[in-house]
Formats: sequence, C-alpha cells, structure tokens
Amino acid sequence: MDELELLKKDWQNKEEHLPKLSYEEIYTMIWKKSSSIVKWILIISILELIIPNLFYLSPSVREDIVFGSGIFNTVYMSFTTLYYGVVIYFIFQFYRRYKEISVLDSSKNLMRKIIRVRKTVKHYIIFCLSMTLVFFVIFIFGIYLDDSLLLSIDGVSEKLDEVPLEKFKTMASLVIAIGGIVVVGLLGGIYFLLYGLLLRKLNRNYKELKRLEV
Amino acid sequence: MNKELEHQFVTELENNQNIVHKVCTLYTNDRDSHNDLFQEITIQLWKAYPKFRGDSKFSTWMYRVALNTAITLYRKSKRRIKTQDYESVIFKIKAEEYDETEEQQLKLMYKAVKQLGDIDKALVFLYLEDKDYSEISETLGITEVNARVKMNRIKNKLRTILNP
Repeated sequence: MDELELLKKDWQNKEEHLPKLSYEEIYTMIWKKSSSIVKWILIISILELIIPNLFYLSPSVREDIVFGSGIFNTVYMSFTTLYYGVVIYFIFQFYRRYKEISVLDSSKNLMRKIIRVRKTVKHYIIFCLSMTLVFFVIFIFGIYLDDSLLLSIDGVSEKLDEVPLEKFKTMASLVIAIGGIVVVGLLGGIYFLLYGLLLRKLNRNYKELKRLEV
Repeated sequence: MNKELEHQFVTELENNQNIVHKVCTLYTNDRDSHNDLFQEITIQLWKAYPKFRGDSKFSTWMYRVALNTAITLYRKSKRRIKTQDYESVIFKIKAEEYDETEEQQLKLMYKAVKQLGDIDKALVFLYLEDKDYSEISETLGITEVNARVKMNRIKNKLRTILNP
C-alpha cells in the first residue's frame, strides 16, 4: 500500500495539534520588517551602486585624480562620461527587473526573476571592476605619455632629484599595476562570497526545478 | 479604508492560519524558526494582499505565497538545527525501523519527509493537502507531467529512506 496515503489521512487530522495565533498576534506581525532575500539583495545592491560612486565623487579623490591638463585629462573625462552613462543604465535595468519580482508568481518564475536581478547586479559589479582596472591602465599610460601627471603628485619632484625619471616611471607603473590587481581581486572576492552565501539555497532549488524540465 | 483592509486580512489569515503553520512545521525544526517563518509568510501575504482580487479563494492564494516564502525568500536566521539533533533523528529511524504498527510507521514517514529537499517537501505538502497535479504544477511552475514524474521519484525516495 502507498505509504503516502496513510500519511495523508493522518496529516489532514493533525489540525488540532497546530499552534493557534490570536487576531492580535497576527495583527502585530503585519507591521514587522521583512527579512527576505529580495530585501537583502535590494539593500546590498543599493550599497553597491552608491559606494563606488561615492569614492569617485568625493572631492579629495577627484582633486587627486584630475591632474593638470593634457591627453590624460581628455581620456579621463570621456571615460567618466561613459562610466556614468552605463551606471544610469544599470540602475534603470535593476529597477525594472526588481519591480517584476512577485511572490504571487510560480516558484520557478519567482526564482528566475530573482536570479535575473542578481545577474544585473553581477554585471554591474563586473563592469565596475573592469573599469577600475581600465582606470589603472590609463593611469599607467598617462605616466608614460605625460610627465606632468607624475609631477603633479605631491612630493614627486623632490624624489626625482634622487632617482632618474625613467626609472621612477617604471617603478610607479609597477606599484599601480600590482595595487590595481589586488584591489580588484579583493573587491571581487568579497562580492562573490557575499552573494554566493546569500543565494546558495535559492540557486540549489532553482537548479532542481530546472533539471525537471530537461 | 486601510483599517478595513487590515481587519479583513487579519481575519482571513486567522481563519486560515493552519495552512501557514503546516508549511512552517515542514520547513523548520524548532519553535523559534517556526515563528520566524510564520512571521515572514505573514509579511509577504500582507504585502501581496492588495493584489489579491478575490477571483480565487484566499486559501488557494495562500498556498502559493507561503510556499514561495519558505523555499525562495526565507533566509534561515542564526537559529539552525544542531548537528546533534539531526543525527539523533537518523539514529532513531534505524532503531525503530522494524516496528510495524501504524503509529510507528507514521512517525517514520514524518521523519523521512523532513529529510527531503525543499522542492520535494513542497510537492509532498501540496499532495498531502489534496491538491491535484494541475495545481501543484502551477504553483511550482513545472509541467503536470514533470510534477507526476517528480512525485513518483519522491515516493521511491521515501521508500528507500524507510527501508534502507
């Protein structure tokens, strides 16, 4: 005989053993804050959208980055314009997809839409990290092409009395390159770890539903 | 207006709370997590309530929101089952497996169901609630054929858990 049938009969008679909440208890619950993963994704994503831009926008960083004039500055300005264009596109895309998430969907659709939102954020992060790398590369090129760039950093001209300019350029480039890779690697690592942990359960369940369709 | 909506919602949920409690029983292992999940489901139901048009029964609509919350949205808080609890469950199953009485069998069944994955539990839950395959497939977003196939696999899985 089917074991599940036996269970079904019992299950349907189980009702009196279940807890019973009062009207008041339920009423207080509806005003509590949700702790769903969708909410977490929203919070983390907003932080991720804001933090890199705060860094770019902060006046002290800006002054340090925008050196004198010349080729480097032109490249840097077009780079910034492109960057904000893409950021706005990502914010728009994120908002649209986030709005599509509905708990009334079927489980599979719900999971698919959450994963899509997360993908948008993931692409954004990959974009940010590559931009950071590109920025470091531009900076290194800038050092070689435009002496004023290096000279505009405080304390550099004094150092140049001890070390020849060419040697100093190579050293600076090396430091910047290593620094860039470390920063990008670290940020990327934190990001993927965070989302990996947050969405482990969802990914597992989604894969299981997907597997059924094959 | 809003007060009226609140009152309507809380009354409906109060009358149908068994559905949510059953989902919580299936997906959590202790009282704290049970209440935690119950609360999250309540919040999700309330947030979605304005979209509930009344074209289906309140209870039908609850199944979907409750299960979606349990298998997708809910994040277990720090309160996890201790490994020890889990081991003792398995141990007990082994010790009792030769007992043939219905009572014992049921106990084993419940324990076996608890060991299933999230998706399997959802299928079993809807099945136990006497939902037909078309509703099960719609709730989970899989085809009816696949729901049947999956259900058969679960039955086999349960059988192996019960008779290793």
